[in-house]
Amino acid sequence: MKKPVYIFSDGELHRKDNTLYFEGENGRKFIPVENTSEIMIFGEVNLNKRFLEFISQSEIILHFFNHYGYYVGSFYPREHLNSGYMILKQAENYIDEKKRLYIAQKFVEGAYRNIRQVLKYYQNRGKNLDDIIYAIERLGDLIVGTSDVNELMAIEGNIREYYYKSFDEILGNSDFEFDVRSKRPPKNSLNVLISFGNSLMYTTVLSEVYKTHLDPRIGYLHSTNFRRFTLNLDVSEIFKPIVVDRVIFTVVGKSIIKKDDFDGDAEGLVLKDKAKMAFIEEYEDKLKTTIKHRTLGNNVSYRRLIRLELYKLEKHLMGEEEYQPFVAQW
Amino acid sequence: MYEEVTGSLMQSYNICKRQVWLMAHQIIPDQEHPYIEMGRLIDDISYDRDRKKLNFENVVIDLVRNDNGNLLVGEVKKSSKAEKSAKMQLLFYLYKLKQNGIVAKGQLFFPEERKKVDVYLTSEAELEIINAMKDITDIMSKDKAPSFEKIPYCKNCGYKEFCLS
Ligand code: SF4
Repeated sequence: MKKPVYIFSDGELHRKDNTLYFEGENGRKFIPVENTSEIMIFGEVNLNKRFLEFISQSEIILHFFNHYGYYVGSFYPREHLNSGYMILKQAENYIDEKKRLYIAQKFVEGAYRNIRQVLKYYQNRGKNLDDIIYAIERLGDLIVGTSDVNELMAIEGNIREYYYKSFDEILGNSDFEFDVRSKRPPKNSLNVLISFGNSLMYTTVLSEVYKTHLDPRIGYLHSTNFRRFTLNLDVSEIFKPIVVDRVIFTVVGKSIIKKDDFDGDAEGLVLKDKAKMAFIEEYEDKLKTTIKHRTLGNNVSYRRLIRLELYKLEKHLMGEEEYQPFVAQW
Repeated sequence: MYEEVTGSLMQSYNICKRQVWLMAHQIIPDQEHPYIEMGRLIDDISYDRDRKKLNFENVVIDLVRNDNGNLLVGEVKKSSKAEKSAKMQLLFYLYKLKQNGIVAKGQLFFPEERKKVDVYLTSEAELEIINAMKDITDIMSKDKAPSFEKIPYCKNCGYKEFCLS
């Protein structure tokens, strides 16, 4: 299985013949090309064209993150799987408003159902979430009736607002109070974790999209302007509650990340590198966790589930089978 | 979207019609699938001694060797389980060669089983190939892929997760 490589230090990425290495303060570290699916770059890293050419050839994606741990962008090697047919179908489903809305609704429905599952889980463990669940369910009922993507986005926003309020009850930790959702850069610790986790999710889904015939620039919920990747944002909605948020509950709940793991600067809060690494470890563990898949009949990891989600979308676009989002059983 | 019939489509045709359609639409199977990797590896290491790739039209032939003055066309396969489909693929090559005025004999190799099977383009076989080519063209030109039906082959198929997701 190919694995992501994470780089936190500052240094330079090099190509030497048919190998790659990273040169940092602590010397050279080789990057095994055959076993690397993507390189996640958090440090200040220099690289050159020779390096990019080899990365392209080896079909490795580079994902860049800024000082705050936010996703900045990716070096997405030219498509290696190309199906003109699939791209036409993807575009056709985007251009037709009704078709686009259907897919967008399914993404929001998936997000909603998985949010509900997370809340139900904590409700069963004695957390007082009845009111929030009630409010979210009323909003969830409105998804199918929406008449355009903007209306749908508004409902999704409202669901998320209620949902994030529940974090205080679930975590019960005054160091991690939700307050308001602040982005770019976030103002409180919980927001930092949410933004960081979501950034990781976007890149994970993008890396899976790369292994399908889908074009990441054509999304359905997040509007397409052909300059940004959006399909990965769409599909991330489904997995954020069951992957990212659960990781947050774990790292805060088990005090793996504490209040003093954050540094403040004029613009906002930054998670220290050591804490970022601890978060990533939990995140990667979560992606490796397997669950029994009903139709495949074997165990599949969460990472694989993301790929299967993309396959289901492809089949929907091909007119084979209506897309139904993955909903966690617990 | 009109593609010409290729050897691999001919091979798929005898396994699964859905596979034919998917391949013809460049929806190629999962590249990380272990069997695909293995196939590549076997392709790389076997019969190195007299290995030659022959390219003509849209056909790539795995192995060509001079067999007492006759042209011998070989196909290397992982296992003889799918012998029928491998045979059809080879017959297709022989047919293509004949169209170009080259008469050749075929042989299937199963290196792991140390097994060889001779294949001849009889007139019956030729008819079978022509019919299959017509059928493949029909499948390719369909708007939608033939719907999924689980067959024993699915277990080892690179499209498994796509079809079953
Ligand atoms: S998984 Fe089964 S149905 Fe799908 S292409 Fe392969 S053999 Fe055909």
